[in-house]
Amino acid sequence: MMNLIREFWQSIVRRDPLSTDKGKSELVFFNVWLHVHPAKVKKQNLRFKHTFYLGFITFFLFVILLTTGIALMCYYRPYPPQAYQDMKDLQFVVFMGPFLRAMHRWAAHGMVICVFLHMCRVFYTGSYKKPRQFNWVIGVFLLLLTLSLSFTGYLLPWDQLAYWAITVGTNIGSYAPIVGGQLRELLLGGHSVGEAALLRFYVLHVAVLPTLIILLTIVHFWRVRKDGGLSRPVWKLKPSKTETLVTIGSPLEIAPLKTGPASKDKTYGLMEVVTGKPIFETVTPEEEEDAVFSYPYAFFREAIALMVTVTGIMAISLFFHAPLEELANPAKTPNPAKAPWYFLGLQELVSHSALLGGVVAPALMVIVLLAIPYYDRNSSRRPSDRKWALWLFSIFVVANLILIVVGTFFRGPGWALIPPWVHVVAGAE
Amino acid sequence: MRSRLPQIFFALSTLALALIVAAVWQASTPSWKTCQRNFLQLEAQGEPSAVTKAAVLATPPEIHQVMLTGLQRVDRCTTCHLGVDDPTMKNAPEPFRYHAGLGPHIPSRFGCTICHGGQGLATEKDAAHGKVDFWQTPLLTRDYIRASCGRCHKEGDVPGVPELTEGRHLFETQGCRGCHKLNGVGGSIGPDLTEEGANRRSPEWLEHHFLAPNAVSAGSPMPNFHFTTEQARALTYYMLSLTNEEMGTYYSSVRLIPSPEYGRQLFVEKNCIVCHAIGGIGAKSGPDLLGVTKQHSPEWLDEQLVNPDLVYPGSSMPEYDLETNARKALVAFMASATAQDAQEILSGRGHALTPEDAAIEAGKRDFARFGCAGCHGTELQGGLPNPNAQGGEVPSLLHVSDDYTKDEIIAVIRNGRAPPLDKASGPTPPLYMPSWKSLLSEEDIHQIVDFLWSKQQKSKESW
Repeated sequence: MMNLIREFWQSIVRRDPLSTDKGKSELVFFNVWLHVHPAKVKKQNLRFKHTFYLGFITFFLFVILLTTGIALMCYYRPYPPQAYQDMKDLQFVVFMGPFLRAMHRWAAHGMVICVFLHMCRVFYTGSYKKPRQFNWVIGVFLLLLTLSLSFTGYLLPWDQLAYWAITVGTNIGSYAPIVGGQLRELLLGGHSVGEAALLRFYVLHVAVLPTLIILLTIVHFWRVRKDGGLSRPVWKLKPSKTETLVTIGSPLEIAPLKTGPASKDKTYGLMEVVTGKPIFETVTPEEEEDAVFSYPYAFFREAIALMVTVTGIMAISLFFHAPLEELANPAKTPNPAKAPWYFLGLQELVSHSALLGGVVAPALMVIVLLAIPYYDRNSSRRPSDRKWALWLFSIFVVANLILIVVGTFFRGPGWALIPPWVHVVAGAE
Repeated sequence: MRSRLPQIFFALSTLALALIVAAVWQASTPSWKTCQRNFLQLEAQGEPSAVTKAAVLATPPEIHQVMLTGLQRVDRCTTCHLGVDDPTMKNAPEPFRYHAGLGPHIPSRFGCTICHGGQGLATEKDAAHGKVDFWQTPLLTRDYIRASCGRCHKEGDVPGVPELTEGRHLFETQGCRGCHKLNGVGGSIGPDLTEEGANRRSPEWLEHHFLAPNAVSAGSPMPNFHFTTEQARALTYYMLSLTNEEMGTYYSSVRLIPSPEYGRQLFVEKNCIVCHAIGGIGAKSGPDLLGVTKQHSPEWLDEQLVNPDLVYPGSSMPEYDLETNARKALVAFMASATAQDAQEILSGRGHALTPEDAAIEAGKRDFARFGCAGCHGTELQGGLPNPNAQGGEVPSLLHVSDDYTKDEIIAVIRNGRAPPLDKASGPTPPLYMPSWKSLLSEEDIHQIVDFLWSKQQKSKESW
């Protein structure tokens, strides 16, 4: 009987015991989900203070969003006013409905924040530099997709908050010369936010955008792996004492495929394993000392990052429910009507100049972000070598934050500058 | 590197599990379940044997709801208010008490929120009673609940709610439409009132507002009309009844209650007395209507009102195109009408109208109905304060013919006008003459001007 169980288990995992190095390697190679990892990682790759695991956390938030989102789809009809009634049903009669919706909501906000922080981290560590330039570009597109997902999801509850945030948000887009108005019409399926807009946003939110973001995420991960694995502070590494390469995991008589100075980020060269040929990896002896098996060191850390993300979102959702205002009413404009918080910086700019703030500034921002790895010719990743870059980027980040904070907390009725601690009595007309 | 990673992972997994358990626990102990348990205990007290007691107590908790597609509502109030249609619960404590005196308005057909307000979808007390942010219609208090009758009964008298009739009458005669739109007709100086009853404004606020607009809404251009407290209450009722809800035919068919009083009103409006007599008083070209309901069945009478020619070929009675409840109201009036009624109706009619008088009458009606009276006064006296306008108030219309020709006044009504400023540097006066050409026909405008001029001559004579 035990034999049968063992055989069954073996038919699933098909690897040697994890106590052996071969088993640890095979755990990675033979598993479709894990094989994006290298069998061994550098210790510095796992340093929390270098990456803060923000990429992982973002990905896990996305997984939470996917899971809760599919569950929510079972209760949602994308046409007004049923959409709003479904929100109420989730709140009052669906078992664990408020929890589900809160998880989706908070994870969505969390993902926007984490994507942005992840981008900052990548910039500050100079991880977008050769050979990872294009992965940065993909990352910028992932940021834009995340914002679009959050924005399209914002409309779905069909309450006043949703309705007016999307009305304001799409109005900002319509300031683009020539095509702006038509783009808005295409997105909304009409001149104003209505039934057609809700359906389009729903389709974008549950089908189009998730597909795109999954595809791009795959490419993003794949390239991280191909470009040398997770980022690490290379400038802190001791300069390698020897240029000699050693071959590990293979009979000594087989010569390395390539000789020459080893790239400090190069950790792969293992594809031959699938065909049963010996594993060999070209690394410097110092690096070999630094490397550990992904199992358990990397996997447990990732699992801990996952659990921290999940428990964090669950704990927040247990105590704070997702907001829901009254049914969308096109005849009643709240004062002030505000876009979702991550677009409030834009709205703040638009309040000063529609064309500059609504079109030129965001377009420039995206173009500059995309161009960073190609414009920055400085090949050093050492912070002391790139003071200018760090300063400029910090100014960009702080300016964004200030604009968002001002737009969120300091703007009252009529977009007047009112500090949040001053209580404004809502005018009764 | 041999670390505590697995332990940390295990601890976090345990925490995650605990959170899931907490979430499930939170979801499985809603307050309505406690409420239902209390109700079952109350019910079990009345059971004679232990067996039936246990059976009652074993009833599984479930959400009760009334789906009202015709009212576009789902009311879950009966999840907690379990005794609402159970007369044995007459003396039970709230929320289980029986709702007496509902008449035809049974909960299974009408739900609760159409009258009481509140959030029917909710299953928690505060949310259900609408005493939460972002719910526009919290429960109405005892003082104001009768205003809800006007949500369905939009015309004619509502028995027991004279305030609604009075409120409607005040609205149409005091010139409210001059500034406020209602169902698309009216000015735009004040807010649109079409959905006022669905706005979150407390009844107390509304009532206070009618008595002293500036006390509750600083800087509001709404003048103080010096309403009495009864009038303010009536207007508040009317405001609370204003909603723009789509209603199913079943509910909208009762827009008008076929009361004898309303029948009498119709009888006067349609000038029935010109052809018919009641008990010998009135004209003789049609049959006397005294006791007509005893001679014919209600169905026959109804048919007669729909299509006189079909029932009595060659009948000279015109087709009045009355709706079902209006015909029922007329029949109800005829059942009780006496010669005395006819006498009163006749004496109230006064002399026959000449076409000129009719035009002036129509102008007078329009003057009140479209809200001119709101600013210029029901007696054309003007005098509403309008800061920084020339003279500081809305002009009186009693002497317009001294300064203007009829055509000039017609142009002002048509195109509107901003009042001339007292001080050029001062603020814009809150009140102004709106343009009326989109709302009033040329005929309406001419009639109003005729009415104004009729008032002029009288005032000159009196000098």
